[in-house]
Amino acid sequence: MTTPAFSFMSNNRCFSLGCTLLVLVSFASLAQTPQTKASGGVNPGASAQHAMDLAKAGRCGEAVPLLKKAIPQSSDKDFRRSAGLAGVRCAMVKNQFDAADDFLRMLNREFPNDPEVLYASIHTYSDLATHASQQLATRAPNSAQAHELNAEALEVQGKWEQASKEYQKVLQQNPQLPGIHFRVGRLLLSEPNPPADAAEQAKKEFQRELEIDPSNAGAEYVLGELAREAQQWDEAVKHFTRAAKLDSSFGDAYLGLGVALVSTKKFSEAVPPLEIAVKLEPENPAAHYNLAIAYTRTGRKQEGDREFAIHREMVQKTPPAQGEAQPQGQPATTPQ
Amino acid sequence: MKTRISPNNILRFTRRQFLFSLAGGVSLAGFPRLSGALPGPLYPFEIVPPEVSGIRWAHSSGKSPEHYLPETTGAGCAFLDYDNDGWMDIYFVNSGKCDFFDPSPPLRNALYRNNRDGTFTDVTEKAGVAGGGYGQGVAVGDYDGDGFPDLYVTQYGRNILYHNNGDGTFTDVTDKAGVGAPGWSSSAVWFDYDNDGKLDLFVCQFVEFSKDKNKDCRVGEDAKRGYCIPHVYRPTASWLFRNNGDGTFTDVSKACGIAAHLGKAWGVVATDINNDGLMDLFVANDTVANFLFENRGSGKFEEIGEPAGVAYSAEGRPRSGMGVDSADYDQDGWMDLFVANVDREMYSLYRNNHDDSFEDAAGATGIGGATRLMSGWGLKFFDFDNDGDLDLFLANGNPDDLIEQIHSQVKYQEPPLLFRGNGKTFRNISEQSGPIFSQPLSARGMAIGDFNNDGGVDVLISVNNGAPILLRNNVGAQNHWLGIKLFGRKSNPDAVGARVTYQAQDLKRSRMKVGGGSYLSDHDPRLVLGVGKRTKIDWLEVKWPLPGGTTERFTDLPLDRYITIVEGQGKWK
Repeated sequence: MTTPAFSFMSNNRCFSLGCTLLVLVSFASLAQTPQTKASGGVNPGASAQHAMDLAKAGRCGEAVPLLKKAIPQSSDKDFRRSAGLAGVRCAMVKNQFDAADDFLRMLNREFPNDPEVLYASIHTYSDLATHASQQLATRAPNSAQAHELNAEALEVQGKWEQASKEYQKVLQQNPQLPGIHFRVGRLLLSEPNPPADAAEQAKKEFQRELEIDPSNAGAEYVLGELAREAQQWDEAVKHFTRAAKLDSSFGDAYLGLGVALVSTKKFSEAVPPLEIAVKLEPENPAAHYNLAIAYTRTGRKQEGDREFAIHREMVQKTPPAQGEAQPQGQPATTPQ
Repeated sequence: MKTRISPNNILRFTRRQFLFSLAGGVSLAGFPRLSGALPGPLYPFEIVPPEVSGIRWAHSSGKSPEHYLPETTGAGCAFLDYDNDGWMDIYFVNSGKCDFFDPSPPLRNALYRNNRDGTFTDVTEKAGVAGGGYGQGVAVGDYDGDGFPDLYVTQYGRNILYHNNGDGTFTDVTDKAGVGAPGWSSSAVWFDYDNDGKLDLFVCQFVEFSKDKNKDCRVGEDAKRGYCIPHVYRPTASWLFRNNGDGTFTDVSKACGIAAHLGKAWGVVATDINNDGLMDLFVANDTVANFLFENRGSGKFEEIGEPAGVAYSAEGRPRSGMGVDSADYDQDGWMDLFVANVDREMYSLYRNNHDDSFEDAAGATGIGGATRLMSGWGLKFFDFDNDGDLDLFLANGNPDDLIEQIHSQVKYQEPPLLFRGNGKTFRNISEQSGPIFSQPLSARGMAIGDFNNDGGVDVLISVNNGAPILLRNNVGAQNHWLGIKLFGRKSNPDAVGARVTYQAQDLKRSRMKVGGGSYLSDHDPRLVLGVGKRTKIDWLEVKWPLPGGTTERFTDLPLDRYITIVEGQGKWK
């Protein structure tokens, strides 16, 4: 049995680099840590200092259990932060992933805005994900899940045709696996040079997805968008309604429903879903805009003006689309 | 924090992601070839080459390594009959000396006199309309009612008003008139906002810009210098000048309410969206909300773009509005609006709901899909085949010469588009309408006019940093038509705002003479009324704009020729 070449393993260097960076960060933190800092709280004491010394010396196997013990006993925030970062670093070195997760949870709870903590979190979770993908590749290389993950990686890399083939392999193994037809449909719509009937093909994939998994709100939503694009308003309303019913937290589904109803001049009917969309996605200008239109056209001028004002403020803060020419050395924002 | 994993939230497309994917993923290939859409073997439009027309002038934008934004936006063109001989002459605007550009030898605008044989002669020097600044657009109007059209040239810097002396020459009267309008002007329109019978002047202003304010914008991984998107420049107010009737104008921008709204205006059309006899203004803005200035009378405008539904896209995003026009394309008695936007935004056809609001019918008419990846500038509703229904011509071209490095689906140069109307909707007939509709261009201005007086309305396209293109209409004369020139006596001389209704057997149509429209350009002032194969026009009514306001009815009308109707004379000639 040969092991397939997996696209999601192609950046192993990132794994090593991530660890290297994490070690560097952690040692930098240790160097800045007061060695013995008397405080009003519990003195970490000799064992805590010993744990930090062990971590600093790279004796992680011994350091991790001592750090786990020392942190709860100390009320010194500087110590807890430094010990937590050292603990993450050492736990990852020793492949003690549960311990690493424990340290990170503590750090994120107590220092949620600390850039060093956030940076360490990114690298640790990234390394964990890479580790898991390696496990999948080595333990079940021909599984549907391995092909699915590979297809996702190819999709991200813009290798549409290869990604499509990988999805087909998944379907050959398990034609009823939820989510795959959705991804094939999405792939069709994302290709830069799609066939002329891409939208129609994609529509069929989303419909097949719903036959397998009638609870897929995402598939209903995209079918709604395709119908909206084709000006098939009744269809759009039907799909958006189902998507919203399947997932009551799906703000974009309520928005799609509202926009479709506004487009067919059913302004009164559009108000309730748009009000929900605004609640679920208060930062989405499209929701406020369409609600403003719906209010205005139903005689609720004051509420319409309020929504227009919110929308206007959001629009003024919206940066231009990515990829356009931007000024050097300054953010592209609307001058005030 | 644990991530909740389910097919729904893993696979869910957000609305914006979906729209983005569609923008990049749906090509123009979805529009099949239409066959047999046009009568006869001729293509509707055919390029008249310079060696035939005699038009050798070309636009020069002065493209520089610094990528000054005005370099990519000009320039305009116009059909006008400057010598009143009944034949359309042509005016081109060039982009000459300014604070960031000093061309040697100097660049100049061009006036070409129609030789009445399909050729033109450059009479710029004799006429004295060479301009000389960094020109952008042109608006034509008989502001003093002497029967000769005057020229207003917009520029980056200071605009010029050329008074037509009636003897083949013009005089620069800008200072006396007080319409210099410093800054960066784009389109302008002559119309009578206060219904006093005199043409007033609205001038679009784009952004606060100068050589010193030019920003260094970079794009792509190699950080190539490119043209900045207008988002990075400050908006500014447009101008409205009231005609005092003595050769001078008063700046009423603040008093009328327009100056309170800062925009980035490219295109403007004067129309009447609510049939109250007061001319309104639809202004296309770039990267900020479009304006719909509704004329409330007593010299005041109210900006109603947001509640009217024409300010933003359906998603509530401001778009890059450029060219505009207005016409009653579906013949329901109410004026509709059109605005062309930049790539991945689609153009908008705003159908009038009869209640100060509009709905975007671009998707339903196929215009949305056809323009999804395009950038539109000059455009105009007109009846190219004289079947009685308004058609639509769109001139296109992306403003960003690096766009192909950013978006592989979007092209820098783009062909024009032609949509054929049937009185209710439109059909894209570009593919079978001749080579011009597959020729990539950096089109900017676009004007319509019947330069050979055969009844087929021709098209003039100005090209950024290139030679203009004159298109002869080959099919208009295959149907019957009547061309009318309106001259207001009590109403404004150009009869802007007049409504013409006519009946030809089973065909009843109504047209309004709007002010301006397109982009940086102006048009043949005559209306050409198509009747198809019908052999008689039963009657024609002209409802003159206020303060005239009367309706005159005419019968026993000829076909296939131009006539002149002077307000209040009760007859045509």
